[in-house]
Amino acid sequence: MERMRHLLFWLHTFFHSWRYICTEEVVALLLALFVFMMPVSATTRFETRGLFMQTTEPGATTSYTVTLKFMSPEQVGSLDMLFCNDPIPYMPCAVPTGLDVSHATLTSQSGETGFSIHSQTQNHIIISRTPTAPIFPSESSFTFSGIINPTDTTQAFSIRMKSLTSTDGTGPLVDFGSVRGQVETGIMIQTQVPPMLVFCAAQHVDDNCTGTDETYYRDMGTLSPNDTLTAQSQMAVGTNASQGFVVTANGPPMAAGTSVINSPILPTESMPGTNQFGINLVENTIPAIGGNPEGTWANAIPSADYGIPNKYKFVSGDVVAYSPNVSLMRKFTVSYILNSSKDLRAGVYTTTITLIASGRF
Amino acid sequence: MKHVKSLVLAAFAVLLSVSYVLPATQASAVSSSALSIAPKKNYVIEPGKSVQDTVTISNLDQSAPLNLTLRVIDFSFTGNGGTPKLFMDADTPQTTWSLRSYLKIPQTVTVEPGKTKQVDLNVAIPKGHGAGSYYSAIVYSSGSGQGGNIGLNASGVTLVFVNIPGKVKEDLQFTHLGAYDRSAQGDLSGYHYFNTQSPDTIAYTLKNNGNVVEAPAGNITLRDIFGRTTTINELNPSDSLALIGQERTFMTCIKLKPEDVKLGNTTTKSTTCDTSGLWPGYYSVSADLFYGQNGNLTQEVTKVGGFWYLPWWFIAVTIVVLGVAGFYGYRTYNKLRNKLYGPRVAKTKSARRK
Repeated sequence: MERMRHLLFWLHTFFHSWRYICTEEVVALLLALFVFMMPVSATTRFETRGLFMQTTEPGATTSYTVTLKFMSPEQVGSLDMLFCNDPIPYMPCAVPTGLDVSHATLTSQSGETGFSIHSQTQNHIIISRTPTAPIFPSESSFTFSGIINPTDTTQAFSIRMKSLTSTDGTGPLVDFGSVRGQVETGIMIQTQVPPMLVFCAAQHVDDNCTGTDETYYRDMGTLSPNDTLTAQSQMAVGTNASQGFVVTANGPPMAAGTSVINSPILPTESMPGTNQFGINLVENTIPAIGGNPEGTWANAIPSADYGIPNKYKFVSGDVVAYSPNVSLMRKFTVSYILNSSKDLRAGVYTTTITLIASGRF
Repeated sequence: MKHVKSLVLAAFAVLLSVSYVLPATQASAVSSSALSIAPKKNYVIEPGKSVQDTVTISNLDQSAPLNLTLRVIDFSFTGNGGTPKLFMDADTPQTTWSLRSYLKIPQTVTVEPGKTKQVDLNVAIPKGHGAGSYYSAIVYSSGSGQGGNIGLNASGVTLVFVNIPGKVKEDLQFTHLGAYDRSAQGDLSGYHYFNTQSPDTIAYTLKNNGNVVEAPAGNITLRDIFGRTTTINELNPSDSLALIGQERTFMTCIKLKPEDVKLGNTTTKSTTCDTSGLWPGYYSVSADLFYGQNGNLTQEVTKVGGFWYLPWWFIAVTIVVLGVAGFYGYRTYNKLRNKLYGPRVAKTKSARRK
């Protein structure tokens, strides 16, 4: 026990004396030196990086012009260009489908010059020269002919570039950075089969839109302050597009001449005796109307505001149903409620609801 | 003769009465509202050139013809997601990215029951037109519902994007990065710093200040407190776009579940998320994104974020463990203290006064 006390006392006296040696100023000086000395050996990124593909047609033989600005004053003996899907230097390199640079030739160069092709494979080119310090900052461009474009139009590809002091693409790195490119069909008609958007709406529709009852209107009856008038229609929608779909409900408020029955802008319960027109897309008990969405594709759902049982709303242009990604056919039942106050002016109240299905971007 | 005259009058009376009794809509021809269209079209067109293409419209109804009215409208975006905001009003002024002046389609189309029709589409870009992205939408409206209190119309929309190559203004700014709840549909409220349920989605939000639609490439790295990393290479599995002026939230899965889906004769890739299998704890998220049109500079944006995944069971276990550790720690401390300095002596009233 006595020994432990001595140990604690010794530690206290030891660190107390360091208080005068390791002052705040000394710590700050060390930190500053650390910060300023580090970049001397650190690599930097090329600036003003760009890629111009003479043609972006998939699989075409074309020329690529790579532009970059050397940022470090150190000597550059080679420039390594690796063609991968992923631009990040430390990630595994997947060769872009269809790309071939093995027969590329260096046809022009500007800025930092004197380079020639040292080695090349299907997705890798190393150009080299006698190690020389770049004129700082030096914007340069290199044009390669005879490159065969990738064929995958759905994915961008990258050229991972790094400059090195050695003449063979080995050894310590000087600068690095990636450029991005993508093939796309040009002014020619697209050959790819496009995704489809399938949509139908009527009072009753079949599950896959193979038929409807071809009824596009509904008489809701006679307005009364004591009763809620109801109606329902159905729609089925599906898409194989990876972005999914949205369905919006559009239309003016229910009106008879200048007399208008407004709709709640927030989901609201049915209130007989007040002027109210609203819709939702789920099964309700008050009043008993509607149905929940049918179909196996559960990612197609009513929007939050239109998916609450016994609560109704209608704002023209609102999204009433959507799917965030691929969703084959799903059927929705749209419920309509109509309430009126005793002071409502007599007349035939009508509206036309346009359900619009569109893809997402 | 008199007999014939009375017969004609009687027939006319019957015809007149029948026409009054039957609803007006029965007299009109029935029309289908079941259509299949392409949701999106993309073109690259140089100034002074044009595209002659077709849009495929199918009538899925086996018994009624599909009578469509076609028109071109402009659209923008709704919020941070991929929902188009359609400008349906014919009087809406053209947007700066509008294709309405350059996109030509027929005004009406009829497709027979169960048949498919190719409809001509022409996009002509005038000479000297500036580079950038231009887009509008084709609306296909089926027959109008007439009669009753509620009429129903069904319409489909094809979004048309044209990219005019050349020097463009590109500027993407990173605004958000982190774990995301997909049900928020791109809204910024979907980002959660503390998650009690295992996150399966990482999202990032970019503000597009340029004059082209953008879809970045790159990757996102998740790092837990032990330094283990998970890399997400598919940054944009749904091929989403940030429209001009939009602050767009892109979503990707921590673990993507690839699935081929068939609709008709086409097969497409579904992009649902698999269970991420993350362990409880803090995760740092770093994103390194690249963008740049052909012939323009490749630009890079980076951002670092983070989130906690703390399921309720883990919080409960942690509280219990901390409680037990605190209890035994306090007991050990007391024992040690007693051994070093002797047992504590309760002060008497007289000692406190002193």
